[in-house]
Amino acid sequence: MALRLTVRRYDGVDLFPELALRGPASAGPWIQAGMSPLEKNMVDRRAFPSARMIRLMWLAGLLLSGGELVAAAGRSAQVAARFRQEIQPVLVEFCYDCHAEGMDKGKVTLDAFASDEDLAGRQDLWLAVLKNVRAGLMPPANKPRPAPAQIAALGRWIKQDVFALDSAEPDPGRVTVRRLNRVEYRNTIRDLLGHEFKVEDELPPDDTGHGFDNLGEVLTMSPLLLEKYMQAAETIVAQAVPRVPWVVQEQFLAGTTFQLENGEGKEGRADRVSFYDETRLGRHLDVGRGGSYRLSLEVQVIGEFDFDPGRCRVVLRSGDRVVVEQELGWQNGKRFSFGAEEVWTPGRRSLAVEVQPLVSVRQKKNSLTLLVTGVKVTGPLEREQWVRPKNFELFFTEDPPETPPARRAHARELLGRFVGKAYRRPVDPATVDRLVALAEAGWSQPGARFEDGIARAIVPVLASPRFLFRIEDVLPFTGPGRHPAVDEYALAARLSYFLWSTMPDAELTTLARRGELRRNLDRQVDRMVRDARSREFVANFVGQWLQVRDVEGIDINAQVVLSRDAAQDGELQRNRQRFRQLRDIPDEKLTPEQKQEIEELRTQFRRRFGDRPRVELDRELREALRLESELLFNHVLQEDRSVLELVDSRYTFLNERLARHYGLTNLNVSGRDLRRVDLPPDSPRGGVLTHGAVLIVTSNPTRTSPVKRGLFILENILGTPPPPPPANVPPLEESEKETSGRVPTLREVLAAHRESALCRSCHNRMDPLGLALENFNALGMWREQERGQAIDASGRLITGEPFRDIRDVKRVLVTERRLDFYRCLTEKLLLYALGRGLTYADVETVDRIVGNLERSGGRMSVLLKGVIESAPFQKRRDESQRPL
Amino acid sequence: MSASNSWLGEVRERAAERQAALSRRRFLRGMGVSLALPALASLVPGRALAASATGGPARAATTASGAPLRLAFVYFPNGAIQPAWWPQGGAGRDFVLSATLEPLAVVRDYLQILGGLDHVNATPGPDGAGDHARASGTFLTGVRVKKTAGSDIRAGISIDQMVAGQVGHLTRFPSLELTCDAVRKSGNCDSGYSCAYQYNLSWRSDNTPVAPEPNPRLLFERLFGAGAPGERREGYRRRQEQQRSILDFVRDDARSLQAKMTHRDKEKLDEYLTSVRDIERRIQGAEHLGPSPDPSVATPAGVPAGFEEYLRVMFDLLILAFETDSTRIATFLMANEGSNRAFPEIGIAEGHHYLTHHQNQADMIEKVARIDRFYLRQFARFLEKLGQTKDVDGRSLLDNSMIVYGSGNADGNRHTHTNLPVILAGGGGGALTPGRFVRHGGVPMSNLLLSLADRMGATGATRLGDSTGRLSGV
Repeated sequence: MALRLTVRRYDGVDLFPELALRGPASAGPWIQAGMSPLEKNMVDRRAFPSARMIRLMWLAGLLLSGGELVAAAGRSAQVAARFRQEIQPVLVEFCYDCHAEGMDKGKVTLDAFASDEDLAGRQDLWLAVLKNVRAGLMPPANKPRPAPAQIAALGRWIKQDVFALDSAEPDPGRVTVRRLNRVEYRNTIRDLLGHEFKVEDELPPDDTGHGFDNLGEVLTMSPLLLEKYMQAAETIVAQAVPRVPWVVQEQFLAGTTFQLENGEGKEGRADRVSFYDETRLGRHLDVGRGGSYRLSLEVQVIGEFDFDPGRCRVVLRSGDRVVVEQELGWQNGKRFSFGAEEVWTPGRRSLAVEVQPLVSVRQKKNSLTLLVTGVKVTGPLEREQWVRPKNFELFFTEDPPETPPARRAHARELLGRFVGKAYRRPVDPATVDRLVALAEAGWSQPGARFEDGIARAIVPVLASPRFLFRIEDVLPFTGPGRHPAVDEYALAARLSYFLWSTMPDAELTTLARRGELRRNLDRQVDRMVRDARSREFVANFVGQWLQVRDVEGIDINAQVVLSRDAAQDGELQRNRQRFRQLRDIPDEKLTPEQKQEIEELRTQFRRRFGDRPRVELDRELREALRLESELLFNHVLQEDRSVLELVDSRYTFLNERLARHYGLTNLNVSGRDLRRVDLPPDSPRGGVLTHGAVLIVTSNPTRTSPVKRGLFILENILGTPPPPPPANVPPLEESEKETSGRVPTLREVLAAHRESALCRSCHNRMDPLGLALENFNALGMWREQERGQAIDASGRLITGEPFRDIRDVKRVLVTERRLDFYRCLTEKLLLYALGRGLTYADVETVDRIVGNLERSGGRMSVLLKGVIESAPFQKRRDESQRPL
Repeated sequence: MSASNSWLGEVRERAAERQAALSRRRFLRGMGVSLALPALASLVPGRALAASATGGPARAATTASGAPLRLAFVYFPNGAIQPAWWPQGGAGRDFVLSATLEPLAVVRDYLQILGGLDHVNATPGPDGAGDHARASGTFLTGVRVKKTAGSDIRAGISIDQMVAGQVGHLTRFPSLELTCDAVRKSGNCDSGYSCAYQYNLSWRSDNTPVAPEPNPRLLFERLFGAGAPGERREGYRRRQEQQRSILDFVRDDARSLQAKMTHRDKEKLDEYLTSVRDIERRIQGAEHLGPSPDPSVATPAGVPAGFEEYLRVMFDLLILAFETDSTRIATFLMANEGSNRAFPEIGIAEGHHYLTHHQNQADMIEKVARIDRFYLRQFARFLEKLGQTKDVDGRSLLDNSMIVYGSGNADGNRHTHTNLPVILAGGGGGALTPGRFVRHGGVPMSNLLLSLADRMGATGATRLGDSTGRLSGV
């Protein structure tokens, strides 16, 4: 047995990288000096015939961790022995009919292992066994199943023996350093520099993996992207960093904030005034400090292309005083700005804009209106009354000093503070020195100011890998076999990017600096959830977990969808066909008879469809649909309710438009804001599966897709996705050949395909779930029939539970199958929080959270804190201890 | 502006009839301007038509006449309706354009319709479903991409990047990557494959895709600088200078991190450092190429609302990039592989991908064929404009280009990857023999890619993915 030994210093540097030892041919159980009690225990307990794990420790003042030596053969023999003893008898009884002795259903065999190493090394196979057995998918519903104790023993063997998971010291797994994605970048720029940067326009979309756009492995860097980051840095700094220490205060009183004070009975916006109406708009302004003010009235004359004789006088008044008085005539969209100065003492001022017609309305030819853009109030103008510019305190603390040494010292302080925030941890003095040098080169340019230098030094910070990537440090080594915790700065960033999709705020950073964040973790998580920024978490997680983000852009043809739901009518079909034929003839070739026929058909269609409400998937509706899902999740999060309410709830979130879309017009929902609404007792709505957004994104552009919907539930609710379809087999439902003179229902098409054994195993799982949602069309609206045939939503889950419609399905999901949902949601959330795909090594972490969820009745806080307190979130794998 | 000296004179005459309709002014108007383009000489650095025209050894990415030689790849998703795609009649020069290819009639003599090219690494093999992800992932790399949803994506270097690595220093931009996919779908992509395979054509290395640019305005500003005509050259120069000072700082910052990073993190940082070096090299190289061009056309606005307009603007920018010799290599992913876009502009409400699984229903087949034709109409318009744009040697850009148009799926219904729909357009500066339909009969598409790399003067590329040699008779 060849053993390769690497001795590392505690900080991970190889001391003797190529030192290799040839071990004894058959080593006895080795317990090395310096092994942890746990490791000794493992060696003892399992009485390995040969060394399971060998660790050389070297004490030389410091405790040094040894490289890890695994005698793989010995471990495998141990795993195999237990398999034969405890596990195989269970498999023989329940699984071997289909998966052994030459049977390999689903290409799975559980008795054909080349060697002990093969048996113990097939982690993927055993993970699949674990998942399928626990989800009740195997053995199939009509076959006898193992007793709970047997399933538990199987799970223990897989987790402890095959995966070698150590429940006392779970493997945190390997995270790859993460680049900020577009959303995180936008939010971080906002918090760091007070600037709203339009990432959708300026940066390319991020690649996704496992359905999420925040995975370290997938967030790549390319020259093009780096160029874009550099360009963005310049653009952002140019706009965000103030270049002077003092400015005159400036307020803009938008025209929309003025009230109409006369000219009653007018419709439309108050800030749009006709040249022919005597009008007065007014508002108040509280003046804090006395002094000279510059007022400037900004208006735009909106005339048509053709001349209109209208003229008017526009007047700006401060109290009774006329500040501005100006005559205006016809213009085609020209803007004007009229200014004057006023001296004001502190107190409440009233401002008014008056429009006085100078030409009688009788001469009016075309419309001519004045758009009151607003009034800009600048002041007090006196030097001693100036204020700091916007965002000043994000970069500066005081007026710049005069002497070069003092300037350098001050720049060092400012830039040190800024770059520490930008890099989310303290920064070495050398880096700050380089920034100060850049700043000095900047302010030494002719005509440049101190502030220009600071701005120039900030640009490269925003393109640095220490800003664009989340670089993490770990706490000092705590002992052999232990994975180090990430340091508190890294933890603060993990928390803030998880719960806020942005950088840590001052409170998190302060706690991290004092080393008190872990001690206050619970309180901080509560605070972060209550903070408005947690809506970012809700939008990004829910938007991708349930894909409701996509409802904003998806193509659905409402007309086609609705016509499928209308009662079938042979005559209508024929008329439609005839109409299309006629429309294909060019106008000039139509005979008068044909023209008349077209008109008659049109009239018929109008009579038939004229009273039907038009459904349009416009922006307003799309937004409401997305918000419904987000608000439900947020509600469960904020009120710490059971996550089962995400699947089945007696309430939902609606505004007037969405209520109308759902046909819930008797619930008295009015206005644009969505709010919690209790549903009628027998309503099929409630829970994300009946949310319009989910129903729409799982549909095709012209109709529903029970297969997509079934797959969605398996993937995102039950966490038991079927294997991908065999190659070259097109999706099932896409054949609708007419049989016996009528179009078959989707249910019939699907049933026909399930007769093929190749399709059956997976479609038996997907189709019933998707068909249960057939009462909802591709727009998420309720319907009783499709193409003249009543919808049958009943069925039976693959795990055996029968249901009549979606209401029953939801009940089953939150009762019999709730553990599957807990596990699925935990896996999704963990993946999102960690920014990496999960592996078999994470099974223990997930199981633990699921167990706690079950005990708490599914409370959201248990899930959230379970993820945050888990080893993968708190620690980094010590790569130096990776088994060889 | 006409392409008078074309060595394919006949076709130019036929094209000339249509020039009134498709004039250069219309091209410019399409970009949101009505100004005439300045004389070409002011756009292209003087060196372009240099010594080699007078003899001497062949230079990389240069035609025999000394003009730049360009290579571009244009991708359309979901394969094509086969019977409607392949030409009728005999092979060679006697082919008759099929219904789908009909829009290309006006540039027929510039085309090689290539039959019998395969991407065996896009077939399921041991990996099962995921033909869309593989189709685009394999298209320019020739390799079997790794089936992973995200933990360790792996393809191979793509041919355009391989060529750009060798000849990219000749132009201000080694290569350009374009797309008309401005929005991405969330959720999983094709059957267990990371979305990276479906949304990128170009791969700089095994695990680093080159994200394409979807925004016409940003592409233009990157090429020529921001601002109005006349201001851009100065803006471009200032931008290079600023970039250089940023790069100095961030390079040191990145190096300071390297020491304490673990293996995978180091690889990520290497991606970053490689990008830093690439940009530095590009800026240094560009300084030798003289001042940047400043076309007197207005900067395009952002992403157009209509798809047809969007494709047209991107194609126009590609022409401008070639015309100004800003790059000689480009890839253009018109839509991601598996795209389910609906085409209201031609009266098709259903999604493209959905329709391609037509199960031999006539109405669905007809719609897919219309979509195939739609994409080809845009491509034909692009080729026509290339044909009408004069190059430095007096020929047209089309004469001096090699443009591959194709899809990594052959039959979208059955997901096949043999006999791929592929067209090679352009005269290749005399290095190609167009005007033919050639049935190659089961040869790796990678062989074609290598043959084009040869013509670009990229040396030392011995293999690409499953290549078995060079494609003969191109």
